[in-house]
Amino acid sequence: MNTPRTRTLVVSRVFNAPLDLVWRTWTDAELVMQWWGPDNFTCPFAKIDLREGGTSVVCMRAPKEYGGQDMFSAWNYRKIVPMKSLEFIQHMADKDGNRVDPKALGLPPEFPSDTRTIVTFEAVSADETKLVVSQFDMPSADSVFGKNAELGLNQSVDKMQAIFART
Amino acid sequence: MDVFKALSVPTRRSIVELLAVEGELSATSISDRFKTTPQAISQHLSALRDAHLVQMQKRGQFRLYRLDPAGVNACGEWAEKMTRLWSKRFDALERLLQKEKRNASEKRSP
Repeated sequence: MNTPRTRTLVVSRVFNAPLDLVWRTWTDAELVMQWWGPDNFTCPFAKIDLREGGTSVVCMRAPKEYGGQDMFSAWNYRKIVPMKSLEFIQHMADKDGNRVDPKALGLPPEFPSDTRTIVTFEAVSADETKLVVSQFDMPSADSVFGKNAELGLNQSVDKMQAIFART
Repeated sequence: MDVFKALSVPTRRSIVELLAVEGELSATSISDRFKTTPQAISQHLSALRDAHLVQMQKRGQFRLYRLDPAGVNACGEWAEKMTRLWSKRFDALERLLQKEKRNASEKRSP
């Protein structure tokens, strides 16, 4: 059985749109801004730095009723296979993309500080694209368990890239 | 077997993603999608069951597999919240995609 701290989520949907358009909704700042943020939040800007090791930053502005403050989501990319997959670590950040402890933002204690996310894109037809999002809330890298888990997932993703290259 | 060990094998990750999209598949249907042998797939399914990522139900002669809520999308409240969040994001993404498609076709027809 899972230890309480490891959590895995897999969600997917087939969208009625061509692959290149769906890819752009994740990689074009103007488009990312229009769907990422929570209900009622606005997104005043997004900065996309699409390269391995790069960090994209998406600003989310809370509505006035919640205080109207800006919070920043960062995606630090680990692996990018254009038009096929994105692997990044999601974390809360400052406006420059530097990691911020969620507790410092007043977020609840169970809010994860780092979430490894893998997004895969697959054309089902000329006008349909299957999107699969896998999220792993990792234990902190300081723990022995965390180090082993990270290694396992790195190997998994390296091999996943090989699978995509073959198909 | 813990979740990360189970998912460190790429074929197992692919099986989990396959079931996320298809819902429920027989062992044979799953095997048919992969180049490896049915015996190898059977071992992967065993490992995934052990890690509580998939569950199996026998129906007549068929062994049917689906994702196991205990392992995937687990931990009650967190899972519900995250699933709802992604559902809303996907809805927003759909609206955006339809808008972009309309814009693209409007540009094409002068």
